[in-house]
Amino acid sequence: MNNISRRDALRVGGLSVFGAAFLAACGKQSGVVPSANILSEGAVTPTTALPEGVVTDTVLLRTAASLEYNAIELYDLILNDGMLTGDYAKLTDAVKRFRDDHQAHANTVNALAVSLGGKAHTCANDRMNRLYIQPALKLVTEKGNPDTSRDIIALVHAMENIGVQTYQGFVATLAAPSLRAEVMRIATDEARHSVVFAQVLNGGYASVGPTNNETTGKPNIASVPAAFGSLSSVLLSVGTPNADNLKPTLTLETPSLNGLIYDFVDCQ
Amino acid sequence: MTTAQARFPRSTPPAQPTDADKQLLQFAQGVELAARDLYKKAADSGKYADDELAMLTLFGEHHNSYAQAMNGLIGKAATNTRNDSLYSTHVGQLASPQSAYASLQSLENTLAATNTDILGQLAGIDAARILASIITIEARMAAVFGTLPSLSVTSAMNASANSLAPKIAQVKMATTETTVAP
Repeated sequence: MNNISRRDALRVGGLSVFGAAFLAACGKQSGVVPSANILSEGAVTPTTALPEGVVTDTVLLRTAASLEYNAIELYDLILNDGMLTGDYAKLTDAVKRFRDDHQAHANTVNALAVSLGGKAHTCANDRMNRLYIQPALKLVTEKGNPDTSRDIIALVHAMENIGVQTYQGFVATLAAPSLRAEVMRIATDEARHSVVFAQVLNGGYASVGPTNNETTGKPNIASVPAAFGSLSSVLLSVGTPNADNLKPTLTLETPSLNGLIYDFVDCQ
Repeated sequence: MTTAQARFPRSTPPAQPTDADKQLLQFAQGVELAARDLYKKAADSGKYADDELAMLTLFGEHHNSYAQAMNGLIGKAATNTRNDSLYSTHVGQLASPQSAYASLQSLENTLAATNTDILGQLAGIDAARILASIITIEARMAAVFGTLPSLSVTSAMNASANSLAPKIAQVKMATTETTVAP
């Protein structure tokens, strides 16, 4: 028995005719000469594709150098803008020392890059700056933030952890075993910086290991946050607290593939 | 070559530890077990209580975890024997809390330096990854002894230590090409 009524047949037929007409309208029209100018207004500027990015030991070392310059710039900002006030002013000498340490680290990784035939990279990582440092600084320095000094230390603590994680993560990618040891020597130095700031921000024996904030459930700053060095995101809470006394939280990550300093990247 | 392919070197290193790696990791396991026993000795001394005791216990457990991680890497090659020389160097200095902290900081610095030198000789990537994640925490534990009971940046940054790592040469292996020329 046929279940299609006359009305159904007409409806399906109508849709088919409409569909065919629509497809015909989308296709090439006979007798019309195609022109590149029809669909665009004005001349299109030719684009130049970026060179292919190849991740080599040199690229990883140059990326490490760029992060060192991020740290140097941040420490210089703290010192030049007098951001450490009250009890935090006692950290001025530590900040100077850590800035100098980062300069030494940058020189070391750049020397390694040059020894492998690469170019030294002597400026900060723009992507890390745009994605993480500038938004964090905006929160730290906004009007009404009662903890500017505390928050700027929280930011450099987070950046030290990013530095440690970056070097640790590079170990799996660096081809030369000797380079793995070289970068980990720098990582241990930055891990020590991190502990100093962790003890300033959340000091005492009870805060050495991992603990959680009772209100938010988020992890507190810890000197030794886990048994093994983590490669996960770094949380940073800075800025003016809200009505519940909670600060905005940012998530920082180590450089991804599009944050690496490839051979074709130069300082602007 | 795509960017994803480019992330890996053309000659991919082995994931599993080589024979030379196993010898290096045996040594690393021995120093970790010595550290575990030294923290246990300090914790059992009765000189520490509350949060301070909890911290020392935690650090000892971390070193035990590192020894176990090496068991996982080298399997039957594991000796599970502590390095008695390292243990003897430090055990006598655990008598007073002041000398104990200096000694435990020196111990952690020695472990970080030793493991870093071992890392520089490892061919296997799995072990390199794990050792790197251990080294950063050992540096942190060393620094803690420079910040407690009172913060000293100079002490926290003190990394002076002699590496105990043996030198073990890798046997030359045929490389594994990941790409083939057309």
